[in-house]
Amino acid sequence: MAEEFNVEGMLDMYLFENGQLLEQLQETVLEQKDAECFDEDTINEIFRTMHTIKGSSGIMMFDNVTAISHKLEDVFYYLRESHPQNVVHEELVEHVLQVVDFITGEMDKIQDGSPVDGDPADIIAELDRFLEEIKNGAVKEGKELPKANVSEEPKHFYIAPVANSASHFYKIYITFFPDTDMANVHAYKTVYALKELAEDLLYEPEDLISDESSITTLLEEGFRILLQAQCSEADIRQVIKTGYDIEKVDIFECKAEEFLQGFDFGDHQEPEIDLQSSVEEIEAKAQAEQEGAEEQEAEKNEKPEKIEKPEKPKMAPGDFVIQSKSPGKPKKLAKDKPKTEKAAFISVNVQKMDQLMDLIGELVISESVVLQNPDLKVPGLNLDNFNKAATQMAKIATDLQNVIMSMRMVPLTNLFQKMNRIVFDVSRKLGKDIEFEMIGEHTEVDKNISEKISDPLMHLVRNAVDHGIETNEERAESGKTDKGKVTLAAKTEAGKVWITVSDNGKGLDRTKILAKAKKQGLLDPDRLESSYEDKEVFQFITLPGFSTNEQVTEYSGRGVGMDVVVQNIQSIGGTLEIESTAGFGSSMILKIPLTLAIIDGIVMETGTTSFVVETSFIKQFVRVTEEMMIHEPTGEEYVMIRDECYPVLRIGDWYGLEDYRSNVEEGMMLLFEVEGKTICLFVDKLIGKQEIVVKPIPPYIKKVKGISGCTQLGDGSIALILDPSGLID
Amino acid sequence: MSEEREGVRGQDHDVQQGKYMTFKSGNEYFGLKLQYVSEIIPFQAITAIPETEDYIKGLINLRGKILPVIDVRRRFKQEPFEYNDRTCIMVIIVKDTMVGLVVEQIAEVVEIADENILPPPTIMRGDRLQNKYVYGIGRVGDSVKLLIDPDKLLNDNDNSAAEQTNDMSDDDEREV
Repeated sequence: MAEEFNVEGMLDMYLFENGQLLEQLQETVLEQKDAECFDEDTINEIFRTMHTIKGSSGIMMFDNVTAISHKLEDVFYYLRESHPQNVVHEELVEHVLQVVDFITGEMDKIQDGSPVDGDPADIIAELDRFLEEIKNGAVKEGKELPKANVSEEPKHFYIAPVANSASHFYKIYITFFPDTDMANVHAYKTVYALKELAEDLLYEPEDLISDESSITTLLEEGFRILLQAQCSEADIRQVIKTGYDIEKVDIFECKAEEFLQGFDFGDHQEPEIDLQSSVEEIEAKAQAEQEGAEEQEAEKNEKPEKIEKPEKPKMAPGDFVIQSKSPGKPKKLAKDKPKTEKAAFISVNVQKMDQLMDLIGELVISESVVLQNPDLKVPGLNLDNFNKAATQMAKIATDLQNVIMSMRMVPLTNLFQKMNRIVFDVSRKLGKDIEFEMIGEHTEVDKNISEKISDPLMHLVRNAVDHGIETNEERAESGKTDKGKVTLAAKTEAGKVWITVSDNGKGLDRTKILAKAKKQGLLDPDRLESSYEDKEVFQFITLPGFSTNEQVTEYSGRGVGMDVVVQNIQSIGGTLEIESTAGFGSSMILKIPLTLAIIDGIVMETGTTSFVVETSFIKQFVRVTEEMMIHEPTGEEYVMIRDECYPVLRIGDWYGLEDYRSNVEEGMMLLFEVEGKTICLFVDKLIGKQEIVVKPIPPYIKKVKGISGCTQLGDGSIALILDPSGLID
Repeated sequence: MSEEREGVRGQDHDVQQGKYMTFKSGNEYFGLKLQYVSEIIPFQAITAIPETEDYIKGLINLRGKILPVIDVRRRFKQEPFEYNDRTCIMVIIVKDTMVGLVVEQIAEVVEIADENILPPPTIMRGDRLQNKYVYGIGRVGDSVKLLIDPDKLLNDNDNSAAEQTNDMSDDDEREV
């Protein structure tokens, strides 16, 4: 090719594509990790994926990746062709994941620019041993030798894609001119051209090139093709044109069932007859054929079952069972996945996205600079037209914001899949039998948030598997009959994403936590232990250095962790709630904001400082009178609002600001609800509601309690963003 | 320690080599290597941040970028001064941190050859604290400029860091 050989672009593409392939592969494998065996689709998929990776790695000259993918491809080739019955499924899953990990690791190295030096020899040796075991097992069970199998059916060695509802099935008969030279080459050419269109393709005679006799067959009987494709008849005719070689092309669309049957009936039938009979006749015939085919198909389906049934009891669970496959039969989908609309994607550099985001942030700010410009406050101006135009502009700016937001939204699916893998690994290592369920994994969050919750979530899931769920024996002792289960659920509620990690394990031990808290001096000596609410008690485990687990395991129990989890979640403005019932399991509920970048806020002022609070935190604004205030001798203040008493926090006091109003009747009370508690915040005055672009406080400045960021107001000045959860302590 | 490295930084270091931005704080003139200085802007309203060190005056908005501002006088533990129309904010970039310095009065850019830079006297008059920001004394004609190490100016790596490590070791002990 004359194009320039741009290795860098290729490398990006290589990493991107293979990364996706591997992710998908892992997902599929984990989906079926508890099944007795992989179904045919999966085997094909793994085979295909490895084949692709092998190919592309070969081109990129990553020899170790090529070698290992080649080996796994071998294994799956064998599985596909010989259907051994003695495969230990768990072991196979492990091997596949090992390979996936290895390749992922190497790809990370490639990305970092470090040498791709991983040594796959160990894994390859293991795979060899594994393959050998299966093969030997097959011999012992008196099955055909794989070699024989392979040589018998090499013609069917093609990579069959799966059919979906948009596929059409065609029978194509091509008649060549009787005097055509090298008809086999022409036939091959046709096949080659059709491959472009085809999802599945079979033809007869099969051996076109190496078998000279195919020429005679072609000329005498014509060339028959079975095609599965998503194109119309006209498309096919475009590809196969009659010309100097091809005398006639007949295309019949047929049903999938007929297609499955292959050439069975075609042998007894001359295509010409069909052409000469009337349309009705053909239809009737097709109908009959189809029925016949269905019957046949039904029989076919029954037969292997009948044969297999007596065998089944002999097999241990986890053994590999594959129903034998007939040549050319397209694979049935394991699940009826709904056909997804084909969407066009374009991958964009994240930096550009961030830049766009920043620019839109600036736009929002300059919009408020324009619309709230003091020049407009001059009395006597006729602003009707201006206001109209301004409204229109504000609308467009909001739309623009929403679009960029939605562009940055990613589903949690990948993150959840990662957790699936963790559950699998950890439960395997700990010897626990654990089921993993995902709910609402399509919930979308901002990409930044999705990245930031990955670690905390991983920790929570690990905890659930390690501490939450008992060992199998313990479960049996406590009379639990159901399997250990970890559920990861996500939903959107009240402008936040709730992610729940729950298990049906032993739950948190209240007495144990209290005892430990007492030992560490965390309890208020004036308070009765029983007066602590469960929620308060459970919050202790989020303190640094707090772990009730006596034994430190590989995964958890060092007491560092929960505090880090909470810190990480708080840093993105989220909260963690813990619920637990002893004996029935516990739930960790993460509530995180959908997005970090632009929020709806209420701007207010105290002294000379402006503050902003996210609108969703505020329950109400109240003007209070002095009579409603209750002053404690300790200096604490409460306010009675509609017979309810709330603690008061004067923001000016809290931050030691100057010149703030001390008379409650001059200022404004804001009622906040955070983490189930309600407090009253006292500020001087409200300025207004505004969409604000959150900017981080420069890292140079130490984190201030209760302040989560800053923003630029309409007049260019800076306001501090209050984080109510930081104010409660 | 990092002088040589910083000298290499930037393409125009040849032009800036040996040049210092000088400014007045108290009675002294201070000098800062020119390559750290990004720009000088007129004084503008600073949004105070509660609960920070007193020398951190707050945040300013520089064309959409939010930067912290340090009062150099307070940083040097000198008497605070009234801001007036000669007060400037000098924006400097040190190791990717962008910070504004409130300085009483910007003086001029001077060239100081390496041989005219003396190490600070080991025993200095006045308090010891001031000494740690000053890595050298540059002679320009008859006057003397105190040359500042901006890294030390920005980062307090004395007691606060030590306190933190103490806390952590306490935790560890408890856990063990």
